[in-house]
Amino acid sequence: MPSWPEKRTLIGSRVKRIDGPAKVTGAAKYPSDVQPEGWLYGMILRSKWPKARVTKIDLEKALKVPGIKAAVTARDGERTVRYYGEELAAVAGTTKQACLDALRVIEVEAKPLPFVVREEDAKEESSPRVWDDTPNLSKPGLNEKGDVDKAFGECATVVEGFYTTPVQLHHPLETHGNTVSWTDEGLTAWSSTQGISSVRDGFAGNLKLQHSQVRVISEYMGGGFGSKFGQGVEGSLAARLSHDAKAPVRIMLTRFDEALAVGNRPSSFQKIKLGATADGKLHAFELESYGTAGIGAGGSSEGGGGGAGFPAPYIYRVPNTRVRQSSVNVNAGSARAFRAPGHPTSSYGMESIMDELAVKMGVDPVELRLKNDPSEVRRKEYQLGAERFGWKEKYKKPGSSPGPIKTGVGCAGATWGGGGGGTQAEAQINPDGSIEIRCGTQDLGTGCRTLIAVIAAELLGLQPEQITVRIGDTQFPPSGGSGGSTTTASVSPAIYDVCTKALQELQTQTGIADARGANWTAACKKLGVNPLTVSGRWQQGLSSSGAGGVQFAEVEVDTETGFVKVKKITCIQDGGLIVNKLTAESQVNGGIIMGIGYALYEERIMDRLSGVVLNPNFETYKLPALADMPEFDVVLLDMPERGVIGIGEPVTIPTASAVANAVANALGVRVSSLPITPQRVLDALGKKAESVPAAAAKPQA
Amino acid sequence: MKPFQYVTATSPAGACELVAGNGRFLGGGIDLLGQMKEYLADPKILVNVKALPGLDKLEPGEKSWTIGTNVTVAQLEDHDELKKTFPGLQHAAAEVGSRQIRNVATVGGNLAQHSRCWYYRHRDVLCLKKGGDTCYARHGDNKYHSLFTGNTCISPVVSNLAVTLGALEATVIVQRGEKTLRLSIPEFYAKAWDNPTAHHSLDAGDLILKVEVPVQQRRSAYLQVSEKSMFDWALVSCAAAAKVKGGKLSQVRVVLGAVGNVPYQDEAANKFLEGKELDEANANKAADLLLEKAHAHSENGYKIPLAKTLIRRALLQLAVG
Repeated sequence: MPSWPEKRTLIGSRVKRIDGPAKVTGAAKYPSDVQPEGWLYGMILRSKWPKARVTKIDLEKALKVPGIKAAVTARDGERTVRYYGEELAAVAGTTKQACLDALRVIEVEAKPLPFVVREEDAKEESSPRVWDDTPNLSKPGLNEKGDVDKAFGECATVVEGFYTTPVQLHHPLETHGNTVSWTDEGLTAWSSTQGISSVRDGFAGNLKLQHSQVRVISEYMGGGFGSKFGQGVEGSLAARLSHDAKAPVRIMLTRFDEALAVGNRPSSFQKIKLGATADGKLHAFELESYGTAGIGAGGSSEGGGGGAGFPAPYIYRVPNTRVRQSSVNVNAGSARAFRAPGHPTSSYGMESIMDELAVKMGVDPVELRLKNDPSEVRRKEYQLGAERFGWKEKYKKPGSSPGPIKTGVGCAGATWGGGGGGTQAEAQINPDGSIEIRCGTQDLGTGCRTLIAVIAAELLGLQPEQITVRIGDTQFPPSGGSGGSTTTASVSPAIYDVCTKALQELQTQTGIADARGANWTAACKKLGVNPLTVSGRWQQGLSSSGAGGVQFAEVEVDTETGFVKVKKITCIQDGGLIVNKLTAESQVNGGIIMGIGYALYEERIMDRLSGVVLNPNFETYKLPALADMPEFDVVLLDMPERGVIGIGEPVTIPTASAVANAVANALGVRVSSLPITPQRVLDALGKKAESVPAAAAKPQA
Repeated sequence: MKPFQYVTATSPAGACELVAGNGRFLGGGIDLLGQMKEYLADPKILVNVKALPGLDKLEPGEKSWTIGTNVTVAQLEDHDELKKTFPGLQHAAAEVGSRQIRNVATVGGNLAQHSRCWYYRHRDVLCLKKGGDTCYARHGDNKYHSLFTGNTCISPVVSNLAVTLGALEATVIVQRGEKTLRLSIPEFYAKAWDNPTAHHSLDAGDLILKVEVPVQQRRSAYLQVSEKSMFDWALVSCAAAAKVKGGKLSQVRVVLGAVGNVPYQDEAANKFLEGKELDEANANKAADLLLEKAHAHSENGYKIPLAKTLIRRALLQLAVG
């Protein structure tokens, strides 16, 4: 069984991204930067109707616009469009303005049909159906264990709550898109993707090409968060336009487009009941939920994943549980996998009700978790985290901090599987001592390229800058998609394998007993004229799965304005053997930032009357910015004996739950919907004043 | 964006002449270019007014300050003497957009900016303000909308500077053809109160030249609350200005932003505060008076307690000068 070196100098240290300078200087070419000879702009015409029968699309006038080289419809013949923003047609031309002008003269004949865009409306039987032959609300999937009704009777404390989470948009900084060149020789696509292989397969399947005729390149890309596994409708349209125009075509979506048709995290409406016995052990749990994944499973969902269901009762083991979950279709774009699909949603409901239980039982929320969390790792993390965070000093009775600006604290835990496999890699050692590692993975922004350099340098006794890493091309040995926090655990063992074998081969060929470090150049020189090329693959024993993490949040809430300011997040995360501490922490930071967005700012808003997305821009779809960020305290538990484990997803899961619990602790009343906006805080406090008139009538000091 | 002509004006009267028909003045362009890209505006001619002589000057004076229309919001933010004389105005400027926006956005453009209502700004929604027949916000999501309106449109005025300049009793000087007009802030916005398609009282060819802010030895304060810590629109903003002598208030003006289709004030509140002690009870009473006629819609009721808080806090800030 292979194992990581006992003594590590680079692995586990803080290594700056080897491609950092290229990225900040603009030398790194993203799919939205590449400009193959003769390339054209491409743009998409989208449905203005939330639902309509489209009978005719006339491209003639568009083709006459100066500069326009090709125009295609998204589908042939009559069709029904089912959401605002669904793709109708696309054009390619020499300038962006030519494309914009062309889109405006495409004539579409359509009969608008009744639609429904809000979950609460859509689930009613009387609402228009998204799919004619299926009710909007699916039959609930039932999952039952033990005797729930009897068990609630045995509980000393029972709490109930209703929690909602919004539809969250991925909004990667680089929008979705591809630059595609399709000629008789084959198809080359520069894709902004987290899965070059799945994009290659997607193009081949869609355009009836052989895999060998398709090459996908994604040397650098600007984030995906689960929404960029396929070429997308935009990729297929770019390919067809390229074919017709006989020129490469680039379609990068606009920020407006990003809000409509390239995925989202499903919403949830969760009714939860939780009971514990007198000794504080969870005993009975019931959940009834629904949420929307847009037009749902009946429609195309590029990249898959992203149903409205989620794990319940999440990380806890309750002997008696009854879970009923439904999906409700609405006339809106489909969901896609989104960083830890299901988990942040599940965590918010479950950790909220856990705190409600703790408050009602009069116990410390951390104590309740220590008693009920089945994971030994997380229990250890709660203890360590509580110590660092100063939980005991900071936790006070809900709503008890003095004055109008109240402080509060909260905590929450998370789990994630991860794991990895299936990756191959090759190394080429040149007589001049240079070395190139090739692997058909891609860097989703997590630092994958640097990670490969770190491992290779460690094993060969070199510096990371000495390793040339080539990734993001389907011509390299295959790896998988970057999803499910599997990249690091998939790639690292393959790099270990190829470097170990290359070193052995180099030593055998040259007769140098230890070719590492100081002997490297001399050894390589002995190769003569031909470089040494070696292949390797993922090996068992160097990586594993299962990452637990906990987070603590401290907030300040202005009860007179409803404004929430997060003051501090402490994150304790297990990630096995940490390969590069710097980029691992950077992933944690990103996860926390995204979690704060989910907690306080982000929500796609659909308009009932017009059926459009009301906030298709960063002006009103609010993303957290630097000024909204608190102090982060990040601790990565180093457990090298477990091997490499991915942490990209678990670190975003508990943030919103911890923040929501901290807000509830500050206020003494729970805001039971995300995001927690000033509107919702003030509304929640108002409700409290109504239900407790004595407090409202108390004269001001 | 549709094709347009571009011309640089050399005199205010010339600018007005050039813009006649279907033209727009181009200052910082922050709002205008956005409108053009979204096809909300399709001017045939853009008249660049940035080169007009003297209109980029910020001139302190003993009795009043003159702020040219082309002065950038960042210049207001960075002006040390302005910060001492009109702290409310400096703070209001500092809360506009992001620093990049403030570097380019002008005082005239900030005052004349169009509604930010998400129905009005949506390319595929034809709302009342755009000449349609429905105020979608009344029936839809109105969490950012008005508590006060004189017509059916409930999109609020969101100019930070308007709120503060209203409290400071500033005068906007406008070129209309050959003439110049002097408009108070209430006059500058009055038309938007009655007319759903109006954003302010200016006619299409009117050009803002400058703003005069009287000194009057008054203190001023500006506060806003947004969903985010910075680079976000105010949910509610409030400016207050008054003389404070021996703990007593005089010449008081309290103005609210983002709650009405004009910067909202109520004479009853201003009058009530005249000669009163500057304390919490009086501030609260003024807040109640100012919000007395507020009409909440399905999602914006929270703006009432929020506005009351900001009124109280802004007034109490005057106590510390």
